[in-house]
Amino acid sequence: MKALCWNGVRDLRVERVDDPKILNPRDAIVKVTMSSVCGSDLHLINGFIPSMQAGDILGHEFIGEIVEVGPEVHQLAIGDRVVVVSIIGCGECTYCKEQLWSLCDNSNPNGVLQEKIFQYPTAGIFGYSHLFGGYAGSHAEYIRVPFADHGAFKIPEDIPDEKAVFVSDGMPTGYMAAEMAGVKPGDIVAVWGAGGVGQMAVQSAYHLGAERVIVIDSIDYRLAAAASHSNAEVINYEDTDVLEVLKEATGGRGPDCCIDAVGMEANSKGVEHYYDRAKQALKLETDRPAVLRQAIAACRKGGTVAVVGVYAGFADKIPMGLFLNKGLTMRGGQMHGQRYVPLLFDLIREGKIDPAFMLTHPMPISRGAKAYELFNKRADGCIRAVITPHA
Amino acid sequence: MIKNVGITERLLSVAAGAFLLGKTWRRSKGRPIPLLAGGYLIVRGSLGYCPLSHWIGKKNIHNPAINIKVVMTVSKPREMVYQYWRTLRNLPSFMAHLQEVEEKDEKHSRWVAKVPGTDGIIEWEAEIVKDEPQRLIGWQSTDGAIIRNAGKVQFFDAPKQGTEVRVIFSYHPPAGGVGVGIAKLLNPLFKGVIEDEIRNFKRVIEAGEIPTTVGQPAGVRTGKFKLI
Repeated sequence: MKALCWNGVRDLRVERVDDPKILNPRDAIVKVTMSSVCGSDLHLINGFIPSMQAGDILGHEFIGEIVEVGPEVHQLAIGDRVVVVSIIGCGECTYCKEQLWSLCDNSNPNGVLQEKIFQYPTAGIFGYSHLFGGYAGSHAEYIRVPFADHGAFKIPEDIPDEKAVFVSDGMPTGYMAAEMAGVKPGDIVAVWGAGGVGQMAVQSAYHLGAERVIVIDSIDYRLAAAASHSNAEVINYEDTDVLEVLKEATGGRGPDCCIDAVGMEANSKGVEHYYDRAKQALKLETDRPAVLRQAIAACRKGGTVAVVGVYAGFADKIPMGLFLNKGLTMRGGQMHGQRYVPLLFDLIREGKIDPAFMLTHPMPISRGAKAYELFNKRADGCIRAVITPHA
Repeated sequence: MIKNVGITERLLSVAAGAFLLGKTWRRSKGRPIPLLAGGYLIVRGSLGYCPLSHWIGKKNIHNPAINIKVVMTVSKPREMVYQYWRTLRNLPSFMAHLQEVEEKDEKHSRWVAKVPGTDGIIEWEAEIVKDEPQRLIGWQSTDGAIIRNAGKVQFFDAPKQGTEVRVIFSYHPPAGGVGVGIAKLLNPLFKGVIEDEIRNFKRVIEAGEIPTTVGQPAGVRTGKFKLI
């Protein structure tokens, strides 16, 4: 089959590889119909996440059709149209049982390796480096899905592909961000990052009762999409002093909830940006935490900062004095997708959250590298390019 | 002074160090890295002590016993966890280096292990020396085993639910003649492999399978790797 493989920093190639096989009794094989690019892939492509190996198949946000099931798969049948959650959970460990799927004890084959860095192993993720299991990703014609009964969900017939695909990762990440930020009716919420996850965090925050949601980014077309599709107020940080504007816009209090949907490759202005670029290039920090710093500074006293933008390791100059003295709460996590899928199906059907507008560029797998190039450069109005391996 | 470098290796070390020093000195009048490396090899050879070897776990010339300790919490009741382990023939389901464990009677068993990196196998007999149902199982190899080994597993209730499992394995390499080859197998790498395998117990008993990617498709492995 054809698959989009990582071959080095900003070097992606479509290669001919073997078709996947059932390797464990709880595996299923899925014929991939749509597989979305994700902002977190850019950290792999741009070389900021360790343990990538040439030949790794990328992609983790996808839908498809079940074509084969292992002997211990009981909830799925051949022909089922499914969305598969990007993180892999065994369903049996204490974390999965408590619905903390991304913390699964058992799904990461390289858990022992990962422990050397994180102290405890976390869940495997499709196409997301060997630290996260080294699982082959979804930018391919077929993919093997371990623990398929837990990770693959039948898509209700009335939900079209272009909405269902984002239930795999983008929507649950945005929803969990709003939930972790503790959004309550009447709250003012600030979201950094107007990419797919940020857009979904905006809609989820409104769903949870937010009075106003303000989005911060520098890409005008994405801010415009957040305004028109998600009813957000927008700030372009290139033109303004974000902290001043947020203070002004919230009657001098600051937002109740702040969401970092950007992560380790944050851009910022002036000296701060060059400082972080230099430290990251010299490996003195793995992450550029400009957004996290700003979120901590912007948040009202006693407010909550939720982090879903991906960080890999260590970041400098985190304003702990502000965090402590303002009495903030900070939460983070890779999303626990399996917990949110049924709820998100309902929200889509009720029209409360609509992700379809994010699919700006459907592309064949042969143009996979081009898809990421557009996405990486934020070119041509791209919010999400989605690969259609069988179109 | 502790010594952890054998005599052959000491001679080789001094020779290699001298070669490196001489060559570097002639060619480039002292580039620092080969100079330092050469000096290090000579010192290591003449003292018979290598801090690097020490650091990676080689504490003296004699291959010491390898002790492996694993602590894990599994989300299953203590009776079940104990029973799975007490049924010794289950052990190969999570420890891939074991080919077979045959229970001959209540106390005695025959173990067959694969020798890493070869087609060979090692066999030994073991007996259960302690058995406190739902609390503790202790076993050791009987006289005549090439690698004397013993193990102990303890089971405790975890605070909220599930079972804390404490596992200790120890392997004593044989002394002299035949023993040298086998002693080489019992290295830090072997230790890591066995540790990982013991931890697969949790995967097997909770998830019913050991996660793997062996046999999945990939593009051409050109060898390029992003370490940091």
